[in-house]
Amino acid sequence: MASMGTPAVVMDNGTGLTKLGFAGNDSPSFIFPTAIATSTIAGKTSKSAAKTSFLASKRGLEDLDFFIGDEAINAANGANYSLSYPIKHGQVENWDHMERFWENSIFKYLRCEPEDHYFLLTEPPLNPPENRENTAEIMFESFNCAGLYIAVQAVLALAASWTSSKVKDRSLTGTVIDSGDGVTHVIPVAEGYVIGGAIKNIPLAGRDITLFIQSLLRDRGEPDTSLQTAEKIKQQFCYVCPDIVKEFSKFDQYPQEKFAQYIVEYTDKNKTNTVDVGYERFLAPEIFFNPEICSSDYLTPLPTVVDQVIQASPIDVRKKLYKNIVLSGGSTMFKDFGRRLQRDLKTLANERIELSERLSGVKSTGVDVQVISHKKQRNAVWFGGSLLAQTSEFKSYCYTKQDYDEYGPSIVRNFSLFSVP
Amino acid sequence: MLQIEQNNLLLEKTITELINSEDLKTVERLFTDFDFTTYHVSNLSDEKSLILVSIYVKCWNDLVKYGVESYLDSKYSKFSKFLTKTSQESGYDYSFNLDLSILKQESIEVQDELISELSNLKRNCIAAPFEQAFKRYDELAQAYANVDVYSEEVKQELSNESVLTINYRGMDESIYIKPSFDRVTVIFSTIFKDETDKIFGKVFLQEFVDARRRSVQTAPQVLYSHNEPPLDIKSSVNHHPNENQGFVTFVLFPRHLTKGDRRDNCISHIQFFRNYFHYHIKCAKAYMHSRMRFRVKEFLRVLNRAKPENLDEDGKVIENRKTASGRRFEIGRA
Repeated sequence: MASMGTPAVVMDNGTGLTKLGFAGNDSPSFIFPTAIATSTIAGKTSKSAAKTSFLASKRGLEDLDFFIGDEAINAANGANYSLSYPIKHGQVENWDHMERFWENSIFKYLRCEPEDHYFLLTEPPLNPPENRENTAEIMFESFNCAGLYIAVQAVLALAASWTSSKVKDRSLTGTVIDSGDGVTHVIPVAEGYVIGGAIKNIPLAGRDITLFIQSLLRDRGEPDTSLQTAEKIKQQFCYVCPDIVKEFSKFDQYPQEKFAQYIVEYTDKNKTNTVDVGYERFLAPEIFFNPEICSSDYLTPLPTVVDQVIQASPIDVRKKLYKNIVLSGGSTMFKDFGRRLQRDLKTLANERIELSERLSGVKSTGVDVQVISHKKQRNAVWFGGSLLAQTSEFKSYCYTKQDYDEYGPSIVRNFSLFSVP
Repeated sequence: MLQIEQNNLLLEKTITELINSEDLKTVERLFTDFDFTTYHVSNLSDEKSLILVSIYVKCWNDLVKYGVESYLDSKYSKFSKFLTKTSQESGYDYSFNLDLSILKQESIEVQDELISELSNLKRNCIAAPFEQAFKRYDELAQAYANVDVYSEEVKQELSNESVLTINYRGMDESIYIKPSFDRVTVIFSTIFKDETDKIFGKVFLQEFVDARRRSVQTAPQVLYSHNEPPLDIKSSVNHHPNENQGFVTFVLFPRHLTKGDRRDNCISHIQFFRNYFHYHIKCAKAYMHSRMRFRVKEFLRVLNRAKPENLDEDGKVIENRKTASGRRFEIGRA
C-alpha cells in the first residue's frame, strides 16, 4: 500500500494546547492553543446574488472563514470573529468546530493528505465511547484517513517514560501524574488499562501557580505584576525546596545568591522594568505540597492524593504503582519536583508499613517508591505517541478505512494494546 | 482558508527557528508535504552549524527527465554562498547543505528570501516540467506565428507534439502537460477512494464551469471527464479502465502564460490543484456534517415537544403514576 512509507500523524488535542507532529520526531512540530475563531458576519455577505441560479451563489463560503491556534487568538481581537474552545475538560464539546479545527490542522499546518497517513489521536481517561465513535466518524468519513488509533493519554505518558535511564522494564503499569494548565490528574494504569474508579483530580495546576506568583508580586508592590511576568518568573526561577523553613533561613543567610531579578521587556524597546524575585521561587511550586498557602478550600497535598489513589487500586498492582510514578505535563517541570514527591511518598508509605508491622507483628518486605522524571516531560503524551507510532507494528494495531466500512463506527470502542517489546 | 498555500509552513518554521536561535542545537526533523513528499532536516555529521535539508518527491524520476536539476540550480544559485547542493542523502532525492554560520551574518532580507525560497522547495521541483512545457509553447508560438494553422499538415504536426507526463502519486494519478502554439493543456487524473467523494467532486467541478460562465471569463477553461481520458492524451495514457478515475482538463491560454510573475503564479496554482480539489471535497463533507448535526438537533427538539402528557380519561393530568399491580406512589405515606 502506498501509505506504508509515510510517517504517522500524531495529534494530541488537550483542553488548552494542541500538539501536532509526525511520528519519529522528538518534539511536536506545532504547539498552539486549541482555539478556533469563526466568522460572526455569516449570512450578511450573501448580498443580492441570490437571484442567479448558479450553485455558488446559493451559499457563501462562511464555513471556510475561520482561524485556529494563535491566528485565532489574533483574529478574535478584531471585530468579525468570535473565539471558542471546542474541547472542555479534555473532552470534545463542539464537534462542528472540532471537525474544522482538524481540517485546518491537517491541511494547513501539517500539509498532508489524510488518505496517505495513519493517525494517532489521544483521549482523556474516562472518555465516553460515543466520543470515540464521533471521532472515528469524522476521521474516516470526512477525511478518509488511511488508519486510526486512539490512545489514552495516561498510557502514552507511561510509554514516554521509557526514555528515562531509571526505567528498566518497559511495562505499562504505573501511576501517571499529569499536570497541565487547568487541572492535575493522578491516574493509575495497570498493564495498559486505566483503573477508572481510582482516578483523582486536584484543582491546582499551572494557572493557579501563576496566579499565586502574581498575588505575591502585587502584595510586594512590584512595578510590573502582569500575568505574563508571573508566567515568566514561574518558568525561569521556580524550584521545589526540601523544607520551607530551612529555605527561608537560607534566603536570609545568603540573600545575594537566592534573591534574583527579572527584567521585563516591552514591545517598546526603550522601556524596561526590573522585578525582584524572592520567596516565590520556592513558595509557588510548594502549593502542590502545602495547598493551604494559596487555596482555602482544597487542602490535600499531592503526595497524600497519590497515596490515596494507589491505595484505592487493586492490591496486586499497588507495589508496581508505587515503583513507577511518572510525571507528565508542564507543571511538573520544576526542579526537584520528582525528588520531593518521592521523599514525601516514601515517608507516607513507611509510616503505614510501620503501623501494620506493629499491629500484625509480621515483618514487611517493604515498598519501593520511585518517581521518574525525564527530559520529555513537557510533551510527554505527544512524545509517547510519537514513540509508539513509529514502531513497525503500529499500523497493525490501527483500524483502517476498510475495517471501518465493514463494521461501522462501533469498531473503535476497542483498540488492542501495544504489546511491550 | 480557501486556498492551500504553496510553501511548506513547517519547513519555513524550522529554518526560521534555526536561524534565530542564539546557540546551535542539534536538529533531527522529519516531516511531509502533499503527494508523498518527505523532508528531512538534520545536522551534517557532527558540525552543528551545517544543516542538511533533503527532499523526497514521489515522481522524481519523471522530473529528472524534464530538467528539474537545472531548474533548481537556477532558482537557488543566488544563495550559493551558504546554500550548496550536495550528493543526496540515501532515501531522498535532492539535498542542500545550509551553512548557518555564514547565513547568520547576512542581512535580514537575504535570510527572509532564503527562507521563503526554501519553503517553496516542493513547488519548485514540480514547477520544472511546467516551465519546460511553457518554454516549448513559446517556441511553437514563434514558429507558427505566420503559418496557416488550419492546414492539415500543421494540425498533424501539432497533434504529434509530445506530452509531458508526471506520475505525481504513483502510477494511478498523473499530470499530463501538452504544449501547443496557442495554448497549453494540463490534464490531471485523479482517483476517488470513496464513493461519495466522486459525487462531491462532480458538483465541485460544475462550480468551476459555472464560475467561468458567470463572471470570471478570464479563468482557464475547465473540462471534466469521468473514466475516459481526453483525446489529447489518449495516446500517452496507458489506460486501464478504472471506475474511480476522473480526468480534469485545464486549457491555459496565452493570457495565463505571460512571462514573469503571472506565469509563476499560474504554475504555483495549477500544480496544487489536486490537493486543493481534495481539500475542498473534505471541507464540503465537513459542512454537510455540520448541517446534519444541526438538523438532528432540531428534530430532537420537535420530538421532545411532541411527548404526550400523562392524562386520565377526563383529560386531567395524572400526577402519581401506578405500578403494574395498580398501586400508587403516594407521598407522605410510609
